[in-house]
Amino acid sequence: MTPRTIAVLAALAVSGSITPPAFAHHSNVAFAVETVNMATGVVKEWKWENPHTWLIMDVDDGKGGKVEWAMEGRAPGVLLRAGWTRSVLKPGDKVTVHYSPSKDGSKVGMIARVTMEDGRVLPNAPPGN
Amino acid sequence: MTRRLSFLTLAALVIATPSSFLRAQTPSGTQTPPDFSGVYYPANEGGRGARAGAPPAPQVPPTPLPAPTRTAPLSDGSRGRAPDAPVLTPEYMKRWEKMRDSRIAGSYESDNTAKCLPPGMPAMMNMAYGMEILQTKDKITFFSELNDALRRVYLDGRKPTPATLDDPTYAGYSTGHWEGDTLVVETVALRDNTYIEGFTPHSDQMTVRERIRLLPSGMLEDRITVTDPVALVKPWETVKTYRKAAFPNDQLREFACAEGLEHSK
Repeated sequence: MTPRTIAVLAALAVSGSITPPAFAHHSNVAFAVETVNMATGVVKEWKWENPHTWLIMDVDDGKGGKVEWAMEGRAPGVLLRAGWTRSVLKPGDKVTVHYSPSKDGSKVGMIARVTMEDGRVLPNAPPGN
Repeated sequence: MTRRLSFLTLAALVIATPSSFLRAQTPSGTQTPPDFSGVYYPANEGGRGARAGAPPAPQVPPTPLPAPTRTAPLSDGSRGRAPDAPVLTPEYMKRWEKMRDSRIAGSYESDNTAKCLPPGMPAMMNMAYGMEILQTKDKITFFSELNDALRRVYLDGRKPTPATLDDPTYAGYSTGHWEGDTLVVETVALRDNTYIEGFTPHSDQMTVRERIRLLPSGMLEDRITVTDPVALVKPWETVKTYRKAAFPNDQLREFACAEGLEHSK
């Protein structure tokens, strides 16, 4: 990489124009679907869109710090039938997320279910499934 | 006197005859076909329709829920081919193994739906996110919420033209006819870049035959046979069952898959 390339990339990184890998995952095969971990944290953003909803959150790293994770949810149509709404999560909400981690170790997970501070459970599938 | 008696006898016979025998006769002489119209969810094992009409359960459970052990079915082929999967010829098995290795590594290169492409036939009949059927005398349309995919089955006797056969599509070209209460469908002109199920590849010689009917339980059944002399050692059969949706879950939502693509690599 030439010094000029490095400078350009650095400038882009600083300006935030490089899309973080957060939204790149798009298929179940990118996740270790039979491993389920748990994370608690605070909602930064809740994106209600197809083909996947996205919960961007600050996760407690267990050492007093916070790490940003992108948690992939199912499509709005499925979530509506599972009891979610477009506005069910808001920035600042404290949540616990059960998720499957990315196979490549990046901070992207696939949501198994979300538990809200008041105990309300948001599953990733309609009941009976 | 005799004439009136005959008339009365005839009238009595007509009144006494079960109405099924007096239903409108189609040209083939069978009774009026059933109407499949409606919204359904798959009812297969592992499918998402066991209680399609049930409202969400109370969301604050009295005791802590056990942690989930799995987020989704394993779909990277890491446990090999299922016992009831299509049996592939050696060439097509090699193609499957190559895709399997790439999926185990986490790549979704071989995933059509991840690229917002339609699943194609017969895979779209999984109807994982729900199915809507619109039926008229001459055409029945199946709509899948997943990727807003649809297919049309022509019932007016038309057959594919050479131009149609030269223009394969994801859903293929489907024609059908009624055999009593069963809809028999033939699908040809299928693109070869879709997967039969999972990520099982096929050739451009694939054709699909279906027998669709309502079961006494009220569920809809689709018995599918896939034939592909190039990719399959023998025709593959599978059965899909669907349960009718009940309010308020009887409204499918738009999918607009490309909405989120701007975020993806």
